[in-house]
Amino acid sequence: MPSTNADADVAVEATDLRKSYGSEVALDGVSLSIPSGTVYGFLGPNGAGKTTTMRILTGLSQPTSGSVRICGLDVSDRRKLAPHVGYLPETPPLYDEFSAREQLDYVADLRDIPSETAEARIDDLLDQFGLVGDANKRIGTYSKGMKQKTAFIQSVLHEPDVLFLDEPTSGLDPRAARQIRTSIGDVADAGATVFLSTHILPVVEAVADEVGVLFDGRVVAEGTPDEVKSRAQTGGEGSLEDAFLAVTSDETQLSGVADE
Amino acid sequence: MSLRRDVRHGLRIGRAEFVRSLRGYASETRRIIGLLLLLLFFGGSLLFSLPAVYVVGRGAQSVTEIPFFDLVATAIPVGLALLATFRTLERIGRVENESLVLTTVHPRAVVIGLITAEICRIGLWFGLPLAVVAATFTAGLGAPSLLLTTAVVAAPLACCTTVWGYAVGVAVLRAFKRLPGVRRTLKVVGFVAMVGLVLVSQSFGRLLAEGSLPLEWLAATLTVGPLADYLALAFVGTPLARPFSAAAVVTFAAIVALTPVGLAVATRQASALWFTDRATGGDRGSSAAGAKATDSTGGFSTPKPLAGTNGGHVAWGLLVRGVRHPQKFTHLVMLVFFLGPLGTTIVQSSADGLGPLLAASGAGLGTYLAGATFGLNPIGDDRPQFPMLLLTPTAPRELVRGRVLAGVILGVPVAAALPLATVALGTSPLSAVGFALVGVFMCVAAAAFAVGIGAAYPIYEEREFWGATTVVPSTLVLMAFMFVVGPGTVIGLVATWFGVTGHLSATPLLAAGLGLYLLVTVGVSYGSYRYAVRRYRTYTFE
Repeated sequence: MPSTNADADVAVEATDLRKSYGSEVALDGVSLSIPSGTVYGFLGPNGAGKTTTMRILTGLSQPTSGSVRICGLDVSDRRKLAPHVGYLPETPPLYDEFSAREQLDYVADLRDIPSETAEARIDDLLDQFGLVGDANKRIGTYSKGMKQKTAFIQSVLHEPDVLFLDEPTSGLDPRAARQIRTSIGDVADAGATVFLSTHILPVVEAVADEVGVLFDGRVVAEGTPDEVKSRAQTGGEGSLEDAFLAVTSDETQLSGVADE
Repeated sequence: MSLRRDVRHGLRIGRAEFVRSLRGYASETRRIIGLLLLLLFFGGSLLFSLPAVYVVGRGAQSVTEIPFFDLVATAIPVGLALLATFRTLERIGRVENESLVLTTVHPRAVVIGLITAEICRIGLWFGLPLAVVAATFTAGLGAPSLLLTTAVVAAPLACCTTVWGYAVGVAVLRAFKRLPGVRRTLKVVGFVAMVGLVLVSQSFGRLLAEGSLPLEWLAATLTVGPLADYLALAFVGTPLARPFSAAAVVTFAAIVALTPVGLAVATRQASALWFTDRATGGDRGSSAAGAKATDSTGGFSTPKPLAGTNGGHVAWGLLVRGVRHPQKFTHLVMLVFFLGPLGTTIVQSSADGLGPLLAASGAGLGTYLAGATFGLNPIGDDRPQFPMLLLTPTAPRELVRGRVLAGVILGVPVAAALPLATVALGTSPLSAVGFALVGVFMCVAAAAFAVGIGAAYPIYEEREFWGATTVVPSTLVLMAFMFVVGPGTVIGLVATWFGVTGHLSATPLLAAGLGLYLLVTVGVSYGSYRYAVRRYRTYTFE
């Protein structure tokens, strides 16, 4: 049940995305229409095509066919697109040789954020994530959680309109995971759209306004978490995990889901 | 406007990348020691050559007096462009953390940044020594302006050649991406070419000293006049200045004009490379088409002779993994640097000496392979699997023994077969058997010795080299191995040669010497092996 909303206030608009690697089809007609200010939970089993989708949506990869617009901009126009998007991939894109402060200063420079504004934001976010005391230590010495938090700060430093997060809480302890989760809510409250890919379904249940389930390169279920749960024939009382397992285990069960 | 912004971003990226490189050089003690040794070696040579440079500067009256100036002036830009191409293929074809950088700035800024960082690195490695030489020459010449003019002439040339070298490198990477088969073939061809180049370069200095190289012919054939005229502009304002050359000015204009063109080409190529996926891949990592090469059928079955012991299983596992990822053994290429002089000797040796020389070389090669292939970084290699390996009932000695055994399995056929095969070249059967036996003995000794020194200085840092992510042994360990095992093997082979040719008579002194040699060889090797076992047994994750 791909989205077909052609609303002008659409943050992410993907139309019939297809992506093939040789004979292997990674994405098979994915369409998305995500309104601004939505937290969109993007679910799917390993190898379903989630990362491929995110790379296409951020302009880092080209679809075999189909089109993507972010905030009304074609993603191939990278110069215009860059200020609007933030992307936190599964592996935090950080430089071990820099300290967190150097890393964030560097990204702020590349984002053309005025130095005073950048300094204030960096201080604020480091404080918010409890990294002030370690801000001058090299990232190579950081724990996974500290790296993830630094990378999260870097992805929101320029206050993007659309934030793409790929497994942002994977491998984090509960406190760090909650911090990230809370921040996702803060970003959304500030009016940004969050595209959240994760396997940790309670996170999606907690923060997502809408959910899309990708299976075998196709969006097989989409809607609010409650809608997906009810459509997945879990009796309306099951969890999102039950719904996820139902819609990704046997396609015959999907007739009442994807086509609704 | 966008160009100015891209240049600003590019310079910021360049600065960051260069700082990261500098911090990387100084990140570990062993790297600092390596750099100090390098500085000691090359810095010493440079220091001793400076008086001669000063004297040349004092005596120089004309640029034509600088030997083969025109040829060198042509070789410099070609060399710089080739270096940039090679570096692009090897390292700077992609930017690290591209998901961050490419969603933040325009690809043109990234290209400018990578090239800027590379020029800074080249400037650090080659520019500083050249600047010292140029300053000394300038002091001798008594024309301080030469330093400034050299910089003014060299900078545009370095930019232009690096940009175009980068563009060519990225184009080659794109071609490799589209044609993975060609890539694999060229890897092999490139490796063989590099080995050949190293071997040839070993003889280059000697040929140059002997005057055997047709330099005059090379200079007449290869020199590009306008390039030489352009580089001669560096001498403007000094006694060495050439008469005004319109060709030099045209060359300068061409260099200035070609640089932005090269940047545009490089940006276009790089964008196509960075934003296009491989023909295979996706979230699953490999396609059905690519699955053939990465599939294995059946379970892990160790062949009969090795299946009896756990050490045998370990050895077979190492051999299987080695065959599937031969790039793990790139460190073995170091031997090539020592083969040059030996190769020249073999080529020049008489027909009588050829067989024994090859036989001895075969025994030496087998010994090297037995120790250096699997033994020089045992703990670094095994560490990722230690949580599993050290918690199995298999004793640590079996793990070490497996490594020794794998080296011996690889080295012994070479050490034994090559000497025996040289019987066809006239080596006496007695000599061939003698060399083969010594080779086999040295294989065992070298393999046992290697695991000890390798365990003493493990390297954990993974590096990607030719598509394989692997831990490479420390160069210091490799050199130590070669400096111990090399002379040890040579002593054994020379003694064998004198023995089988009847040049040794049994005396108490000889017996004592032989006994001492065997004692040291066996003792050091066994002690080294025991040390490795102890390191495995007591290993803890820090």
